[in-house]
Amino acid sequence: MPKLIHYRNKCIGCSICFEMQPAFWRMSKKDGKATLVQSIAKKEIYQLGINEGDKELSIEVEKACPVKIIKVV
Amino acid sequence: MKNEKIELLSPAGSFEAMQAAINAGADAIYFGVEQLNMRTVSSNPFSIQDIAGVSKIAKANNIKAYLTLNTIMYEHDMQLLNLILKEVKEHKIDAVIAADFAVIGACKELGIPLHVSTQANISNIDAVQFFAPYSDVVVLARELTLKQVAHICSEIKRRDIRGIAGELIKIEIFVHGALCMAISGKCYLSLHEQNASANRGACTQNCRRSYTVTDNESGYELEVDNEYIMSPKDLCTVNVLDQIIDAGVGVLKIEGRSKGADYVHEVTACYREAVTAIEANNYNQEKIDTWMKRLEAVYNRGFWEGYYLGRKLGEWTQQPGSAATDKKIYLGKGTKYYSKVKVGEFILEAGQLKKGDTLLIMGPTLGMQKRVMDTLVVNGEAQEKAEKGDLLTLPIDVKITPSYKIYKLVSAEQHA
Repeated sequence: MPKLIHYRNKCIGCSICFEMQPAFWRMSKKDGKATLVQSIAKKEIYQLGINEGDKELSIEVEKACPVKIIKVV
Repeated sequence: MKNEKIELLSPAGSFEAMQAAINAGADAIYFGVEQLNMRTVSSNPFSIQDIAGVSKIAKANNIKAYLTLNTIMYEHDMQLLNLILKEVKEHKIDAVIAADFAVIGACKELGIPLHVSTQANISNIDAVQFFAPYSDVVVLARELTLKQVAHICSEIKRRDIRGIAGELIKIEIFVHGALCMAISGKCYLSLHEQNASANRGACTQNCRRSYTVTDNESGYELEVDNEYIMSPKDLCTVNVLDQIIDAGVGVLKIEGRSKGADYVHEVTACYREAVTAIEANNYNQEKIDTWMKRLEAVYNRGFWEGYYLGRKLGEWTQQPGSAATDKKIYLGKGTKYYSKVKVGEFILEAGQLKKGDTLLIMGPTLGMQKRVMDTLVVNGEAQEKAEKGDLLTLPIDVKITPSYKIYKLVSAEQHA
């Protein structure tokens, strides 16, 4: 199963991930950074298992992130 | 002199740089926290928790500290913004530097002193008047000529435009550091190429690369003298600083929150000496030459006086990176401190240090210190040189920790 990974502490809160893929992303009102919904956190790295069908758009999001902190594996 | 006291404002991208600015004689520093400042990506910004520490150091050293909150703000930033402003208020940070109206409004509401950022592109006296009920200092657009700056300064006095604290509005301009091709930093180049907005502090410096210009219809490449057609040289005004002060400018700002403590120290020290010389009426060409030489030694893309002297076109750099005449080579980091005898120990992780070399030590409570190594104590004994793996000990007054780094300073030519 593919996974979305978010290195959250480097997020600059530009909100492109949320704009492109609102099903998976929220902008946190608390600290202005993006949050990967329902992900599991290991230290500051957030992971979420996704379906094959969501992979293509996730890769687009990965490419769009200006600080390159979103990875699809 | 027209002004009461000229304020020298230095960048602090880290605690090291802050200390370097203090040591070199800055009157004030500016810094950013979290992702709401224009150097979010290029430097490792302070966090909200550091606001207390920065304030404490500033107050202990009797200098002012200003917090930059000058990115574009979105709805989802408001809570973080309020959290930051709460800390600013609690720890009595001297002012916030901002351009977004949400920040300007919030500062007024909370009674936080405000400086209007250069991002606001203020270029005329009426704009200054507009911002006066909200601020005490206005940073003018970097694209103005000195004549325009002088006109704005004299009009402030004539119209008696006072800021929120009741004093005449102070004018601040950039005197040294990187310039950018876009007006007042409003650039979309990195957004177009890498989706990284410069206006959210994520500038990827596309303008600093070399480019060729191609005619798409014929496929011919146009001949352009300089490949770095979008990368201006750095601003340097130490040679015209008397004119800037005569124009009525109150705050002299040095750019460079992503630069190291060595840069901040040298640039601050030169401008401090220049201001002192102007005030003492002994500012002269000989001194200017010495300052220029020192400024050329640290990071720069070549210098020009910006738009202040009325040049129509920018001067473009000839190289991708720095034209600094000195280069620092990483040697190692701190390992131990023997507090009774005040000796610091460093491990060499790379390179080689010989007797007579210039050593650069950088760290949080030290800032930057340069020393010529007349004696070298390596692994406890006097030696001619130290190599990778060796332990170097030297007398020093501050507590050395692993966050202290040592470098060898060499001439760039010699190292090229």
